Amino acid sequence: MCGLNGIFAFNPAAGLPKEAELLATREAMRARGPDGVGVWWSEDRRCGLAHRRLSIIDLSDRALQPMASADGRLVITFNGEIYNYAELRRELEGEGVRHRTTSDTETLLHLYARDGIAMVRRLRGMFAFAIWDQAKQGLFLARDPYGIKPLYTAGDGWTLRFASQVKALLAGGQVSRDPEPAGLVGFHLFGHVPEPFTLYREIRALPAGHTQWVDAAGPREPVAYVNLAGILAEGARHPAPAVEAGARVRAAVLDSIRAHMVADVEVGAFLSAGIDSGALLGLMRDAGQTDIRAITLGFDQFRGTAEDEAPLAAEVALRYGARHIVRRVGEAEFRQDLPAILEAMDQPSIDGVNTWFVAKAAHEAGLKVAVSGLGGDELLAGYPSFTDIPLWRRRFGPLAAIPGAGAAARALLSAFAGSATRHRPKMRGMLDYAGSWEGAYLLRRGLFLPSELQRLMDSDTAREGLRRLRPLSAIRAGLQPDPGSDTGRVCALESANYMKNQLLRDADWAGMAHGLEIRTPLVDIKLIENLAAVIPRLAPGAGKAALAAAPSQPLPEAVVSRAKTGFSVPTADWMAAAGQQPVDTAPASKGVTSRRWSSVVLSGATDMDALAA
Amino acid sequence: MSRPLNILALVTDAWGGRGGIAQYNRDFLGALAASSDVGAITVLPRQAPDAAAPPAGVKQLPARRGRIAYSLAALSAAVAGPVDVVFCGHLFMAPLARVVARMKGARLVIQTHGVEAWPRPKPAQRAAVEAADLVLSVSRYTRAAVQGWATLPPERLVVVPNTVGEAFTPGDGSALRKAWGLEGKRVLLTVGRMDSAERYKGHDRVIAALPELAARHDDLTYVIVGDGDDRPRLEALARDAGLGERVKFMGAQPEATKLAAYRMADLFVMPSTGEGFGIVFLEAMACGTPALGLAAAGAVDALGDGELGIACSPSALPAGLAAALVKSGPSGETLAKAVQERFGQAAFRRSAAATLGPLSAAAS
Repeated sequence: MCGLNGIFAFNPAAGLPKEAELLATREAMRARGPDGVGVWWSEDRRCGLAHRRLSIIDLSDRALQPMASADGRLVITFNGEIYNYAELRRELEGEGVRHRTTSDTETLLHLYARDGIAMVRRLRGMFAFAIWDQAKQGLFLARDPYGIKPLYTAGDGWTLRFASQVKALLAGGQVSRDPEPAGLVGFHLFGHVPEPFTLYREIRALPAGHTQWVDAAGPREPVAYVNLAGILAEGARHPAPAVEAGARVRAAVLDSIRAHMVADVEVGAFLSAGIDSGALLGLMRDAGQTDIRAITLGFDQFRGTAEDEAPLAAEVALRYGARHIVRRVGEAEFRQDLPAILEAMDQPSIDGVNTWFVAKAAHEAGLKVAVSGLGGDELLAGYPSFTDIPLWRRRFGPLAAIPGAGAAARALLSAFAGSATRHRPKMRGMLDYAGSWEGAYLLRRGLFLPSELQRLMDSDTAREGLRRLRPLSAIRAGLQPDPGSDTGRVCALESANYMKNQLLRDADWAGMAHGLEIRTPLVDIKLIENLAAVIPRLAPGAGKAALAAAPSQPLPEAVVSRAKTGFSVPTADWMAAAGQQPVDTAPASKGVTSRRWSSVVLSGATDMDALAA
Repeated sequence: MSRPLNILALVTDAWGGRGGIAQYNRDFLGALAASSDVGAITVLPRQAPDAAAPPAGVKQLPARRGRIAYSLAALSAAVAGPVDVVFCGHLFMAPLARVVARMKGARLVIQTHGVEAWPRPKPAQRAAVEAADLVLSVSRYTRAAVQGWATLPPERLVVVPNTVGEAFTPGDGSALRKAWGLEGKRVLLTVGRMDSAERYKGHDRVIAALPELAARHDDLTYVIVGDGDDRPRLEALARDAGLGERVKFMGAQPEATKLAAYRMADLFVMPSTGEGFGIVFLEAMACGTPALGLAAAGAVDALGDGELGIACSPSALPAGLAAALVKSGPSGETLAKAVQERFGQAAFRRSAAATLGPLSAAAS
């Protein structure tokens, strides 16, 4: 994990960028890269690049960034890991290309020199980078297929600025803080700010799996180079027999784990009592890793109860010969860390607190890299949404086709069942939304429904925000082309929305705050290509069962059976308490809790703004 | 590049027109006409009061004043030949331009200037902007305002700033000083219309600051070039402030006199809050005269973020004026060169031509 940023004054009318601004943005990302810094300016000083480094591959100073090619024609600033860089390097060297370092950064330069912007299709990994092309006087920006690594741009028509973080762009002092209603509305709907929007009109995420070219004509519209729905659709055309699922999952995940072990520093692991992290630990061992340190969060209030994950995790660690570290966390520490959490949170998010603490524990253990099981539920149909969404759609689809049915039902419900639906506003939205894939997904994952927004903000902001966000068509866009199976559709929906905008972004800021690179072998473009034919025919539970059985020594049976009942983490209660509102007498559903916490993080984000302004 | 683009320009005025928008249209379309990527440009103006010949490659149709006559003329111009790009010079005509572009399967480019594009426009105008392939703004401020009400990718919102004519260069203004009785005076200059409906140019603000400044600089004189129905009110304001001969209203002036006025002034000042861009700042600075305005709206762009001219906040205006009167900035030649580098014709032609890249790619 590193921090990158840059400024490019592309319009002839623009003044030269200031080094003070470039450095202010870079230094706002100090936590991302404590090991080194760099700055580079083009000869005419219209383009400046900067970097903060967390060294993982090639720890020497030769690998410092920004890094220029030997002929000075190309300069790169890069955040992430290219897991297949050794293979690419061999290929390039076979063609006579000479490397000066052992870093993956340099391989990117050579690959761009050879393939141009098509080079991104060759990359396996998590990345965000910018390459200055001296000959073309242009800037090439790219972001990995899943959006594991962040990249934000701010263009005002004269100058384009970019950075790994929204707050870093603001720290430069030249980016407008004018609000983006689509970002605010998106946050209330989903509990995260859906890309490409941010809370600020001028700042946008370069979407996952996209590249962007910028030259004297300004930034061009981002171009997609990969399509998850397309990969799934291709798999659905030639589905694998269900009996092959186990062997295919094992082979594909082991392949991904092998790729994710590339590092010149120790690679540790997060370990819960769930299937994903446990299976990855087992496969790490199968991949030849020995002496692995595994970090488990144990919540004080669960100690000695069946809710405590630590004993089961210890059993898993023992089975795979890992050194087990249990980090105990209590509400007092949460309260103590809350200001730091809100500060590290780049954009408001209703989640990420667990990741904050496990990353903190890994950092305390001296780890710079840790493997996480993030993405297993999206890839292998682990969420209830894989059954709920297709079911809702079948059940409500025919009704939703009747014009006005939703509005009529809503009126009836509030007239005759007002109190029953008060705490479950989503119930009222069933007929409006559940008939389509995107609507059912909004219903499944949304905190609030569009019709509720007017209670949270002024009606013009709500209306304009919805108009700009277009939540349903944005979700629908992730289903083009049709993934071809129910499991594939929900996989695409969860990957392109909840996982991308919430889980991966939380992993980035929470890990970054502790100088920890979180690697996600279950979020990997090669992996989903390998499993695309398996996903369509996965029966409920079969995917996770296959993962549990994937290590040569399968996970303990207790982990598999426990996973079926699910886990609870107390952080949701802490978050609700931090909202300083009395706990509802009704059972606090995840929805209610999240709604309270969302107001905390949002006011946290805006307070920071007020301080910075 | 693919084949040359044929452009139909629907504008309020261009050749033979007066004012900033006509000037911009001439500059922009003239720059495109010079590009080898552009075939024929057909211009349909709403008005063209003066006689003027467009350059080679540009054909200007007779002006049509009425809305219906204009729309019919636009449709018949569209039918008359191939159209790859429809250039719409004003937001008010955007819905018509959208229809024409759709009819011809052409790319749609909409130009935005200033105050007309700041508030959220009528639904049909907003829809046309959101359907555009490119929306050009003269300043970052106008671009941001459009982005505030229009839902379209930010990359389609492009800034092509106003430019300054090649005639504006440093030179000798002493003849005009003599003619206007300003010898030995320290001259503040504003060039701009005095419109009672707008009143944002800031003449009042300068007049209000004058008594205190005059106490320190007895030779101070404020020269106002331009006319308009707000002039009597401003004249009364100056009289009431006891400024008498210190404020000189010179009325509208021909281009040559305006040029000399820029050259002879010590400081160009226009504390306006409503500039889409503020081309007069560029004209003054290109003549080597320092300029002062407010850090508000598009003027920030013309003042080069304070690197070319002085951009102060409204409350800091009196202090800013006082400081500017005693401060010696870069030489006139240096200032003029810096302005030309960022806003001269060469820079403008580069920006204008750069907009063709995405359009050609889209058209091919």
